[in-house]
Amino acid sequence: MVHKHLSSEDGRGSAPGVQRRSSSTPRNRGVGMLIITAYGIFAVSATARALYQILVHFDDAPVAYLLSAFAALVYVFATLALARTSVSAWRAALVAVLIEMVGVLGVGAWTYLDPDLFDEATVWSHFGQGYGFVPLVLPFIGLYWLLSHRPGRDAPGAPSSSGMGAG
Amino acid sequence: MTLMFIIGTVVCAASTLICWVMTALRRHPADSSIISLAAVELFLVVYGIYAAVRQLGFDASIAGEAWEFWGYVFTALLLPVGVFVWAMIDKTRWSNLVMSFVGLVVFVMVYRMEVIWWGSATAPCAC
Repeated sequence: MVHKHLSSEDGRGSAPGVQRRSSSTPRNRGVGMLIITAYGIFAVSATARALYQILVHFDDAPVAYLLSAFAALVYVFATLALARTSVSAWRAALVAVLIEMVGVLGVGAWTYLDPDLFDEATVWSHFGQGYGFVPLVLPFIGLYWLLSHRPGRDAPGAPSSSGMGAG
Repeated sequence: MTLMFIIGTVVCAASTLICWVMTALRRHPADSSIISLAAVELFLVVYGIYAAVRQLGFDASIAGEAWEFWGYVFTALLLPVGVFVWAMIDKTRWSNLVMSFVGLVVFVMVYRMEVIWWGSATAPCAC
């Protein structure tokens, strides 16, 4: 019932005339690897930074450091979910990316409105300014990638026309 | 700005540029991309040894905190290896682009290391 043959080794031995290489590339291959790498780098750096902040000077800015830790967890979770191909991983990744988007927009706005609460920077402060605004762009790229690679949408037919523009 | 920082910047920039060019030219992970990652790793090893000598020897005047500095060194050393392994999972054109991240991120990390050690990465220092 489910088309199980849609893995990365398609088109090698069978179906000589059919050229569906790009549409059947799994979500975690090709450009997807790039997005996962970016998430992985943020997962590592945010975790390291949050650990350092919490272990060394937690008392300086507890709110900011707890948010750092939360952001780190979201990145770790998103990285793992994006790297897996199951339907539940897709849903988990979608939730993680949406939380990340709310986080960077919310914390970004918050740091402008009430700077005193954030003496120390987090990944999401000022919309990720300290990280070249990559944290602001990343969830939108992640969301676009997820919406354009829905589970079941990779099915043999054309992967298009659902009227769901990302963004 | 120290000599090590300048060398690191050049190595990282070269690696990223090579990986970008190879993304356009090759449909598989290019040898030159992989060698450029190895060059970044080699630079980091030398940077780490140099920092260790500095730390243990005569001039342990670190401005920031030592274990934060070494945390950066350690994480940076893992990065080219980790990204290389990850890039090899999918041997397509995009592996080159994945590997181009190493130069960018290591540059930022070396910049941070310089700031932690000297207090500033770009100020003229006695060296």
